[in-house]
Amino acid sequence: MANSPITPAIPTPHTWPLRWRRLVSVAIGLHLLAVVCGPLSLPPSLLGLALRDVFRPYLEAAWLDHAYKFFAPDPGPSHLVRYDVELADGNHVLGQFPDRTTQQPRLRYHRHFMLSEWIAAFPPSPDDERPLTWEELPLSPQQSAYVRSYALHLLALHSGRKVTLYLVEHDLPAPQAVEQGLRLDDPSLYRERKLGEFTPEDA
Amino acid sequence: MTLLVAYLRELQAAARSGWTRFWFAPADPATLGLVRICTGAMLLYTHLVWSLDLTAFFGPDSWISAEAARAALGGEGGTWDWSPLWWFNSPLALWTFHSAALLIFLAFTLGLASRLTSILAWVFAISYVQRVPGALFGLDQINVMLAMYVMLGNSGSAFSLDRWLASRRHGAPRTPAPPSVSANLAIRLIQVHMCVIYFFAGLSKLQGLTWWSGEAIWGAVANLEYQSLDMTWLAGYPLLVAVLTQVTVYWELTFCVLVWPRLIRPIVLALAIPLHLGIAFGLGMITFGLVMLIGCAAFLEPELVRALLTRPTAQGRGVEPPPPPKHARRGGSNSATAGSARPRT
Repeated sequence: MANSPITPAIPTPHTWPLRWRRLVSVAIGLHLLAVVCGPLSLPPSLLGLALRDVFRPYLEAAWLDHAYKFFAPDPGPSHLVRYDVELADGNHVLGQFPDRTTQQPRLRYHRHFMLSEWIAAFPPSPDDERPLTWEELPLSPQQSAYVRSYALHLLALHSGRKVTLYLVEHDLPAPQAVEQGLRLDDPSLYRERKLGEFTPEDA
Repeated sequence: MTLLVAYLRELQAAARSGWTRFWFAPADPATLGLVRICTGAMLLYTHLVWSLDLTAFFGPDSWISAEAARAALGGEGGTWDWSPLWWFNSPLALWTFHSAALLIFLAFTLGLASRLTSILAWVFAISYVQRVPGALFGLDQINVMLAMYVMLGNSGSAFSLDRWLASRRHGAPRTPAPPSVSANLAIRLIQVHMCVIYFFAGLSKLQGLTWWSGEAIWGAVANLEYQSLDMTWLAGYPLLVAVLTQVTVYWELTFCVLVWPRLIRPIVLALAIPLHLGIAFGLGMITFGLVMLIGCAAFLEPELVRALLTRPTAQGRGVEPPPPPKHARRGGSNSATAGSARPRT
């Protein structure tokens, strides 16, 4: 037994052939460059945007175009959408999304929360000389498309004849105010703007 | 001049061998097997929750119409985003597609026909997210990222039905799969991608005043729409809030460096647990908190994973894996070379 050849318990591992390694190395390098394009280009940077243009097909097709800016630059107010659907018989269905009382489990609530945050996330278009108030800020084309889509969904869901949507912003209280007894849902922390009225004909 | 040339030659040789060891050394697929199970379970849960609103999000009168989604994705410039869900939205077709997706995610989690189901899991995962921009968040980004990398490796070589069935078929005792390059490659890509995520997450926080002043964590806990655990008692402890805020920033910023040295790695990973569990249970994003921890699990040594997941048997079958060859182990010399393989920051 002492002279028998030693058999390894597992096959001796071999790495890939050089040609194959070179090819994969190039792919890894390009892939990692693509991955950093997303965060490099938001907020816009000359280098980030130039690289992003090159890698855009890959980033979009593989869904890698992310900035990874969680709670940045600062945690801010949250947004909800309040709606008023007028039914054919004149009654109204009032509601809002997200709504944690009806949207369970939490992931389901969070999906609806993202819907309302999405329409508050686009940068305002600074066309006017006078600084616009939050209520006056125009909707971007993407925001408008989403608001209209939400409205049509609610109309179809409730078989309504008209729906009015409002964007509600819920501000963050200062810690001192909370220490003095201010509740997180105090009405003074909310403000609202009308997003529009829609009918089934808008489809 | 001679010194410079000698230095450059040595640098080139070290970079080349470091790169090769980092990416192409065969590795025990145990860690990848663990990541497959956790990613599959998360994909399965995520899509089970979609079942509750399938037609509301993907149907004909969905929250996000095809027109709105196209406006968001590419506008008039078009888009390279793709999804089969663009082409059909009838309830029958949707439910058929969705049922197939759930079955694939289940098979992927269990490690059944892993090569095929891992590819299909990524295809299905991406099909959903590309259809509903606006209903997504960090969870979806990490889900798809993990699915993509797990797909590249032989994730079914550990802790899978594939392994179990193969051992039954051949009547052989279950032994750990041999180290493989694809397992290493997949795990390395997850590791590096996690470093990119944390680095830019930390860097972007430096743009915010409250992350500098130390108030940002208050901004998170005082947000009623996120809140799932009332932590507003922190209002009375501004210094504690400041410590939590700045530890978060510096931990994120330095993760890409400090996670590589073998001795510091456990500390860095241990800090990830309270951070992400805080997000999970304090801010109501349980799935996001957990999926980030799944990403961090890619840094666990395969030996540790096997020790945690392998059940000893009387015959000693499949209990202890033979130690992989030294050059196949992560950490140690491999970790020291990681610097050359990290993306430039």
